[in-house]
Amino acid sequence: MASEHIARGYDEELRKLNNTIAEMGGLAENQLGTAIEAVMTRDTELAARVVEGDVKVDQLERELDNLAIRLLALRQPVARDLREIFSALKIGSDLERIGDYAANVAKRSIALSQTPAVRPVYALPRMAHLAQVLIKDVLDGYVQRDADKAYSVWMRDAELDEMYSSLFRELLTYMMEDPRSIGSCTHLLFMAKNIERIGDHATNIAENLYYLVNGTPLEEVRPKGDVSSLEVIRSDRAPQ
Amino acid sequence: MSPAAARQAMPLAPPDPPETRADPSLHQKVLIRDVDFFYGTFQALKNITMPLHDKRVTAFIGPSGCGKSTLIRVLNRMYELYPGQRATGEVIVDGENILAPGVDLNLLRARIGMVFQKPTPFPMSIYDNVAFGIRLYERLPHHELDDRVESALRRAALWDEVKDKLRQSGLGLSGGQQQRLCIARAIAVQPEILLLDEPASALDPISTQRIEELIAELKADYCIAIVTHNMQQAARSSDHTAFMYLGELIEFDETERIFTRPKQKHTEDYITGRFG
Repeated sequence: MASEHIARGYDEELRKLNNTIAEMGGLAENQLGTAIEAVMTRDTELAARVVEGDVKVDQLERELDNLAIRLLALRQPVARDLREIFSALKIGSDLERIGDYAANVAKRSIALSQTPAVRPVYALPRMAHLAQVLIKDVLDGYVQRDADKAYSVWMRDAELDEMYSSLFRELLTYMMEDPRSIGSCTHLLFMAKNIERIGDHATNIAENLYYLVNGTPLEEVRPKGDVSSLEVIRSDRAPQ
Repeated sequence: MSPAAARQAMPLAPPDPPETRADPSLHQKVLIRDVDFFYGTFQALKNITMPLHDKRVTAFIGPSGCGKSTLIRVLNRMYELYPGQRATGEVIVDGENILAPGVDLNLLRARIGMVFQKPTPFPMSIYDNVAFGIRLYERLPHHELDDRVESALRRAALWDEVKDKLRQSGLGLSGGQQQRLCIARAIAVQPEILLLDEPASALDPISTQRIEELIAELKADYCIAIVTHNMQQAARSSDHTAFMYLGELIEFDETERIFTRPKQKHTEDYITGRFG
């Protein structure tokens, strides 16, 4: 935050808004990490804890909304202050979605653990790690009000997209090779998609951070690495 | 240090040149150019240059003593009523420098009406309050005078409240009504420019909204300048905003820009309540 307001209560409320975002972000990042751990260790209890933990992220989002509404109504913010509150609202809903996706990964891991292990599962932690780095970096950027960090996260999401595309192809091949793996691979595919979406929300946060700092939107065209939606699946590609 | 960083570091950055977007509908009614103003030896305005557009509202904001009221008093040479006060530079209204010697001050003040912070109805009837100015400049037959009074009261959104008591004293009206009566008196002489010096600061919220609504309607016909301490009022009512500090114009831009992303840190600090 910039220099202090004459009304100290205003600064206190803005600080609380920032702290809530930081808390939500830390929680969402942690949820994702724990969900992946549950996938890899096939620990259903751990997965259940992640699913339950999502309630806390949702609750923090409601607190954030109430705080922001209160600030808008009582302080009538303008300029930078207005952008602070507007961005906090939007970032809050992105973090809430990240929490949802992490819970979704955990939910699927419970189903996945009932089936025999499949090899491509090992690509998942790598994707999740990058998603966590993106969340962490964008949140650090938020705390430091660093638009350069926002830009860097915004650019790096393409890497996550590429990882998803490549895992998508790997899973397809795997399913074609062994139709018995279709159940597990489909779960893995959805998990990977969830993680890829988490990256998209991290870039949304980056865009909001950039706007918060500069007062203008990030208008360049962002590189996209996920081409899986353009993929044509042909059965003749399956090995004989 | 980059130029931007240098500007941030300076406590009082020089204003960017006054600019407005290329809007063909904007007609520059007034150009204030290199205006300095002195109360005796104290310089209250320093080299002010900015336009006022016709059919637009320009708000002046800034902390007490920044020179905003002084500046609008220059626009109708109100300061000449007081010894020791003088302005230099030019205020060009439709091509004519009104600060030049030889300008007829009575005619000037008919062209440029003014309303003050405290309602100033004259101790006479509502009708005579409005007719007072007209009678100074024109000799109208009774029915025409009646029409002009009615029209001014209607434009000031007061007619319906006073039409049955036009002969009663203007002092008997509420604060908000008195202020609208003063606006009616100002517009009755059909000025070109309206100067409003904190017109709503002594009024309750409902009366304030009426005045703001009135400003929104009047801007269809006038060039309006409003001085206000109420930032939200400036944001709601004006098209352009000038932020002044210690006699200098710090920033002048479209109101939306000033209240969303001002260029000067000083402006931002003021409108967000970071310094007094």
